[in-house]
Amino acid sequence: MKCHIPLLFAALALISCKPADGPASSHSGKPRVALVMKSLANEFFQTMAEGAKKHQAAHAGDYELMVNGIKNETDLAEQVGLVDQMVSQGVQAIVIAPADSKALVTVLKRAKEAGVLVINIDNKLDADTLKQAGLSTPFVGPDNRAGAKAVGEVLAKKLKAGDEVAIIEGVTTAFNGQQRKAGFEDAMNAAGMKIVASQSGQWEMEKANGVAAGMLAANPNVKALLCANDNMALGAAAAVQAAGKTGQVQIIGFDNIAALKPLLADGRVLATCDQHGDQLAVFGIEAALKVLKDKTTPADQQTPVDVVVK
Amino acid sequence: MRRWSDFFILIAVLVAMIVLFGLMQESFFSMGTLGTVANRIPALALVATGMTLVMVTGGIDLSVGSLLGFCGAVVGVLMADLHWGLAMAVLASVGVGAVIGSTTGAVSVKLRLPSFIVSLGMLEIARGLAFLTTDSQTKYIGADIEELGAPFGGMVISPAFVISLLVVAAGQVMLSQMAIGRHLIAIGANREAALVSGLSVDRPRIFAHALLGALTGLAAVFNCSRLGSADPNAGTGFELGAIAAVVVGGTSLMGGRGSVVKSFMGVLIIATLEAGLIQVGATEPVKRVVTGLVIVAAVLADTWRRK
Repeated sequence: MKCHIPLLFAALALISCKPADGPASSHSGKPRVALVMKSLANEFFQTMAEGAKKHQAAHAGDYELMVNGIKNETDLAEQVGLVDQMVSQGVQAIVIAPADSKALVTVLKRAKEAGVLVINIDNKLDADTLKQAGLSTPFVGPDNRAGAKAVGEVLAKKLKAGDEVAIIEGVTTAFNGQQRKAGFEDAMNAAGMKIVASQSGQWEMEKANGVAAGMLAANPNVKALLCANDNMALGAAAAVQAAGKTGQVQIIGFDNIAALKPLLADGRVLATCDQHGDQLAVFGIEAALKVLKDKTTPADQQTPVDVVVK
Repeated sequence: MRRWSDFFILIAVLVAMIVLFGLMQESFFSMGTLGTVANRIPALALVATGMTLVMVTGGIDLSVGSLLGFCGAVVGVLMADLHWGLAMAVLASVGVGAVIGSTTGAVSVKLRLPSFIVSLGMLEIARGLAFLTTDSQTKYIGADIEELGAPFGGMVISPAFVISLLVVAAGQVMLSQMAIGRHLIAIGANREAALVSGLSVDRPRIFAHALLGALTGLAAVFNCSRLGSADPNAGTGFELGAIAAVVVGGTSLMGGRGSVVKSFMGVLIIATLEAGLIQVGATEPVKRVVTGLVIVAAVLADTWRRK
C-alpha cells in the first residue's frame, strides 16, 4: 500500500494539470506567463513585447513566456478570444494591455475565476466597471496623467500666461488617452493658458496632421499643440511647417519614439514623455512572478515616467 | 448639356458646404484653410483617378489604403534607412504599387474572382507587408522628401498638387478621348457585348488595376512628403475616402459610366468637408455621421437628377 502513495500524488498532480482546472504547471515546472498586447503593429507595443522577450531570455530558468497581440488596436473581439485561449492553455498568469478599459473586464473575470492571475499593464481597466464585475486586478504601470502634466509644465515655461493652446487627443475611449488629456489640462490650467481647442487625432499621424492644420487655420493665435502621442506630434509638426509657423508654435508629445529624435534635436518638438516602453511589460511580468512565488495579494504599482527634451 | 448640369450639382454641393462652414467659423475663409485642403488633395486625387478607371469596368479595389501604407513603408525604409535619393524612391514606390495592383487585377480577371474579394485579401497582405518592411516602426525622413509637398515660395500650391492635377487631366483624356478609355467603359457597360464585338476584356481590366496601383504608389510618396515621415499605419480607411469621392462624382458602382474630372470634384467635396468639420470643432462621432450623410446625399442628388 505504501508504494502507492507516490502514485496517488502523481495522479492528483495530473488531475490538477488539466487546463480546464485552471492554473497548471508546464512540463518543465516553470510558471507560464502570457503577455496579451494591443496591436503589435504599433511601434510602442512592439518595443514593449521585445523588452519582455529579452527579459525572458535572460531569465529563461524562471518562467516561460507567450506573447500575443491583436491586429489593430480596436479589435476587441480578437483580444477577448486571445485571453480565452491563454486560459485554456493553462497559463498561470496573464499580463494584459487591454484594448479597451471596459470591454475586457468580463473575459478577465472569467480568467480569474479559472484561477489565473491577471495583471493589468499600460491601459488601466475602468475602476467602476471592475467594481460592478466584482473583480480586482492590480495595475502595474505609469501614471499617464502625471507624465502628461510634467511635459505640459516644461511647455508652460516657454509660454506666457493667457497664451492660446490646443490639445490633440488620442482615441477618446482609451483611458490612457483621457489621462494624458487631463494631465495636459492640469498643467495648462495651472499656468493660466487658454485651451481653445481639443480634438481627437485617433493616435494616428495622418489624422493628427489634418486636425492640427485645421486648428492652426481656425485659431491663428495658437501658440502650442499638445499631442497625446508622438506619432500625432509628428503629424502636428508637419502641419506647423506647412502653415509656415515653424518656431512660432510649440509642440509636445508622449512616448519618446525613435522617429521623433530629429525633431526634438532641432526644436520642432519641444519635449516628450518616456514611460520606458521597453520595460512596461517587464514590470508587469516581474509583478506577476513575485505574486506567484510569494503567494501575496497583488497591489497596484507605479512605474517611472521621465520628461525628455532635446 | 447633360455633362454641365452634372458639374452644376457637384459645384453647388461644394459651394453650399463652403458657405455653411464659413458661416459657422469665420476663419474658414482663409489662406490657411485653402492650404489645408490643397494639402489633402494630391494623394486622394491620384487614387480617385485610378479608382475611376477600375470602377467604370465594374471592378473595385479595396486594397488601396493598405497599399498606400506599404508603398510609404518602402519609401521610408529606402530613404531613412538606406539613404536612397528621392527619384529612386519614387520609382520604387510606383513600381511596387504597379506590381501589387496588377497582381490584384490579374488574379481577379484571370481566375474569374470578384475584384471585391481579391482586393480585400490584398488589403490584409499589403498592410502586413507594411509592418514587416518597417519592423512596425515609424520612419522619419525629413527634408529630403518634404519639398515635394511644400508649397512653392510660401504659396498654397505644392509640386504634389500640380502633379496630381496633371494626372487628373491625363486620366480624363484617357477615359473620354482615347480608345483604351472607351474600351474600359464598354467592358463595364456590357462585358458580353464587348466580348462579342471582338474586344479583349481581360487585359484592359488588368491594366486599370496596375495603373491604380502605380498611382497609389505615387500617392504614398506625396503622403510621406506631407508628413515628412512614413507611418506603416498610414492609409487605414483611405480606400473608403477614395471610393466615396468617385461615387460622389457620379461613377456607377456597376460600371459603364464615370468621369475622372467629376471624381476630382468628389475629392474636393470630401477634402473640404474634412477640413471644415475640423475647423468648426466637430467631435469624432459628429464628423463620421456628417461625412456619411454627405456621401449619401450627394449620390442621391445625382440619381434623382438622372431620373
